Amino acid sequence: MAVPATSDKSARLAALLARIALGDQSAFGEFYEVTSPHLYGVALRILRDPPAAEEILQEAYVNVWHHAGSYEVAKSQPLTWLTSIVRNRCLDQLRRRELDTVTLTSDDDDAPAYDLPSDAMTPAEMLLAGAEARSVRDCVDALEGGPKQAIALAFYQGLSHSELAAHLQQPLGTVKSWVRRALERLKSCLDGAGYVRNE
Amino acid sequence: MNLSRPDRLLRLDALASAYVLGTLPGRARQRLARIAQTDTVVAATIRAWEQRLSPLAEAAPPITPSPRLWRVIALRLGLEPVRHSAPGPWWTRIGFWRGFALASFTAALALAVTMLMPKPEVPGQPLVVVLAGPDAKPALIATLLRGDRTLTVKAVGGEPVPPGKSLELWMLPDGAAPRSLGVIPASGVGRVTLPAPTDVALAGVPALAVSLEQAGGSPTGAPQGPVLYTGKVERFY
Repeated sequence: MAVPATSDKSARLAALLARIALGDQSAFGEFYEVTSPHLYGVALRILRDPPAAEEILQEAYVNVWHHAGSYEVAKSQPLTWLTSIVRNRCLDQLRRRELDTVTLTSDDDDAPAYDLPSDAMTPAEMLLAGAEARSVRDCVDALEGGPKQAIALAFYQGLSHSELAAHLQQPLGTVKSWVRRALERLKSCLDGAGYVRNE
Repeated sequence: MNLSRPDRLLRLDALASAYVLGTLPGRARQRLARIAQTDTVVAATIRAWEQRLSPLAEAAPPITPSPRLWRVIALRLGLEPVRHSAPGPWWTRIGFWRGFALASFTAALALAVTMLMPKPEVPGQPLVVVLAGPDAKPALIATLLRGDRTLTVKAVGGEPVPPGKSLELWMLPDGAAPRSLGVIPASGVGRVTLPAPTDVALAGVPALAVSLEQAGGSPTGAPQGPVLYTGKVERFY
């Protein structure tokens, strides 16, 4: 199914990707200029480690250069596609570190204390600012304070359940059900508002 | 576990949402990612969540990465210099060289003065490359004599090299991928042998670069690590 409403920016990025697939270096340079601040912000907030974030971006762009042709316009918008790749790599790295250092089987109770970077916006504010489309903002707005904050911290800063529990000073079980219920509500609200762009 | 059976769809949706949000614990995360590679239902469920949540990611404040990142990417991919469109590879940009201009000029001037006006087209005149980092402070100075094949690299500054790492020197030919000149010492004086006499080896090579690689140098023949220093090839003949 085609993407119904592709923004100008998405159309431009998709066109650049098509040129990159043909080996067009100036298209690649432009694509980098447009997308890298966004992707670096995403990676740095999750990893809190500039060299590690740069490394993830380096791999991502090397992949874009080699595999731009495999990007499927019909399946997702370019920035969504790339953001997902970068977020997933960052989260994989974070979660792998936990596997390396933690012997318990799943998310556990000893939450390491993180210094959260002082962004101009708090994660909860980003959540609202990010909700550009009216339907998304309404859906985010409808969440209660605790669950909203939990979702924001997990999404923007990659906090695990146990880290969320420590940060929000709530029992682990409470945080887990906040997150689960908030995701369920977001889904029914967004899908009900006809938000999901294509499936 | 067959996640795509209808009675599992609710469970799958919960897993996919936690995967995209990032709260799915390590092992479950790896497992789901593995399944998604072959199972289209799982992959589509994850993608739907990515699309639901992506507007949230897209409006978070952007942070511009260090210019070094683009240089490393361009170097790794061996990108060719392009016309004037877009940013182009880093070594073709005026602004890039401007940062090095002062350092290069100072060193070049000092060298020129010592040599008391080098005469053009005289064999035996040196070629000098001042390699500097983004702060434009010279880190290494490479010199060689015309017609000679030995490039002498002298460390004059720069960051200490971490244990288990090596500095590797590269030629950056116009319109071709970087070519290794070998590993150089991080302090003191090192020598590398060019594949051909200066004029031949460095013809069409406007710049050299030094990257940080694993001990012994990049195993692939292309720079793998970050580019620390670059320098323009200055000819004194």
